[in-house]
Amino acid sequence: MVQKMISKEKISDLIKELQKEFKVFGPVKEEGVVLFKEITDAKEICLDYSNSKIPAKSVLFPMIDTLFSYKKEGKGVKIIENPPYEKTVIFGIRPCDSMGFSLFKNFFSFGKYKDPHVLNRLKNITIIGMGCLEPRTTCFCTSVNGGPFNKESVDVLITEFKDNYYLESITDKGEALIKKIKSITDADKGDLAKIEKLQKDIESAIPVIEGLVSIYTKLDGLFDHPMWKMESQGCIGCGACTYLCPTCHCFDVLEENKQDGSGRRIRIWDTCQFPLFTLETSGHNPRTTKLPRVRQRIYHKFNYYPKNYNIIGCVGCGRCIINCPVSSDIRNIFLSVENMSFKTEG
Amino acid sequence: MVINIIDDIEKSIRETAKKLLEEKKVDLIIGYTKGSIPLRSGPCFITDASQTDMLVWNQSCDLNLAKYLAKNDNRKIGIISKGCVGRAIVHLIVEKQLNKENITIIGIPCEGVLNRAKIMVEIGDKEIIEANIEDNKIIIKGKDFNKTLPLQDYINQLCITCHYKIPPIFDIIIGNKKPEKPPKDDFKDLNEIESKSSNDKIEYFKKELNRCIRCYACREACPMCYCSLCFIDQNKPVWFGKTADISDNFIFHMIRAFHVAGRCVSCGTCSSVCPIGIDLNFITRKLEKIVKERFDFESGINLAAPPPMGTHKFDDKQEFMIEED
Repeated sequence: MVQKMISKEKISDLIKELQKEFKVFGPVKEEGVVLFKEITDAKEICLDYSNSKIPAKSVLFPMIDTLFSYKKEGKGVKIIENPPYEKTVIFGIRPCDSMGFSLFKNFFSFGKYKDPHVLNRLKNITIIGMGCLEPRTTCFCTSVNGGPFNKESVDVLITEFKDNYYLESITDKGEALIKKIKSITDADKGDLAKIEKLQKDIESAIPVIEGLVSIYTKLDGLFDHPMWKMESQGCIGCGACTYLCPTCHCFDVLEENKQDGSGRRIRIWDTCQFPLFTLETSGHNPRTTKLPRVRQRIYHKFNYYPKNYNIIGCVGCGRCIINCPVSSDIRNIFLSVENMSFKTEG
Repeated sequence: MVINIIDDIEKSIRETAKKLLEEKKVDLIIGYTKGSIPLRSGPCFITDASQTDMLVWNQSCDLNLAKYLAKNDNRKIGIISKGCVGRAIVHLIVEKQLNKENITIIGIPCEGVLNRAKIMVEIGDKEIIEANIEDNKIIIKGKDFNKTLPLQDYINQLCITCHYKIPPIFDIIIGNKKPEKPPKDDFKDLNEIESKSSNDKIEYFKKELNRCIRCYACREACPMCYCSLCFIDQNKPVWFGKTADISDNFIFHMIRAFHVAGRCVSCGTCSSVCPIGIDLNFITRKLEKIVKERFDFESGINLAAPPPMGTHKFDDKQEFMIEED
């Protein structure tokens, strides 16, 4: 482990240094909305944010992802592969959102077929996460095996302390990276203990939903419970909860043909909340109403994922609570499940 | 004080709902309830008279509850209706999408709802932990900040120009005082965008619509979007692109606008529910103006007035038609 620091005002120097070797994605604010974009000007980066509106999954799994392009040539078709993915740094992602990346890795590499697009990106991405000093009241990361300074899925973890950012390497990839950076200096050892205490204090202040990690065992018997009718009656069936979720990864594959004979095959975000998602070619739709669609989102995250992959399909970022047009709160569903309650530690 | 009037309305809503349920005049009350985060509300569906205290009424009640009514629903439903909910019900009856017999409209006067997106831009990315509306001010508290905003500046633009604070038809009306009628709508709020050059207009549209993530919250929250299969979802064959690319976004929002022309009741719900905070009101208002000017029609006001897009008159303006050579 290597511990370094940089003063806040010099952060652009660090970004500029990274840009020499990497494509750097970081949080930027556009029209009041924070999202992850490629940083072209180091000044654009917005680090004074609680969490981005659109999760950084958009870097790994873009809203429109070109799988390949093609062009008709005579009687044949020429396939044009994507250019190789460049070495990339995702800077300033919250630990909850980077936990989501682990899920993507699982999903896109499970079984016989490996998705080259997501996996190649993952291979080329170095994650410089930024600890969360001000978790929102809607956050519940500590209930789903995460935490505001969780180190599990970042290569480097940054913690803001007084006028500095402290960098700690977590993986070998992260260590190799920060050893190369000239604009950072060795960490002030005197502050390290204080930072550790700060991290613990912030983490323990987040309310814990007891038993959420093992909720899948309870859900096993609740598939036909009347609570799903209650929970789904207000849902309008939009995709806000899933599109803004750092773990939702469902997609649709389409082809775009131009009149000049060229085109591309693309993958776009899709969601289990839309009726069309499950409409089969035969015309049969196994999920015709809101109830099974609302239930599917919960079961996929809290029952199927834990059972199939031994991983919880939720990182507790609270975006689905904040952004739901009808103020549906996923935590109420947890509370509806018997014997569960909120508890604040510390 | 505004807050007192609102408190009284809330109390009366609860009492009225309780009475209707107890007397079995309705099977279900559809109203607003508190959201789990400040400045938010959600719908609530009450069948038990002991639960009517869940009902709330305040400036965060932005959904158009008419969305939850359906023609094939045989339950007797009491619906808490601000002006635009009432207008949506009227227009849906005109379009033969609802049966009035089963619906009890509980009218309430509305002073307008908050433009939450505007508040969020003002607050930045900070979390609002507590918010109260007092003396025409929005008092916001966060972890290490306090902010007081003038209420009037953060009311949805469509509410400021709204002429119909109470539903055009109702079975019960709550609130003693009829709200004052605002001055005649001169559509002055559109001056700014209308005076832009074509290029500037397209740039403005692009800037707004480029941010759309295609979650369809606008469509799903709209009481007038009831098609069983939306044009954008047509896939046998595909009619339009479904990506979040600007050209596809533009097509989606513009064609949806055409489809709600002369039908939109200016409730502003499409903008209120947008998770990204895209202001779709600029489209809605323009539609309202065009329909008013060309057809002297306002949707959802008169049960007997045929909607302009569903009728034809020989003196309908058609100067846009290009004559064949």
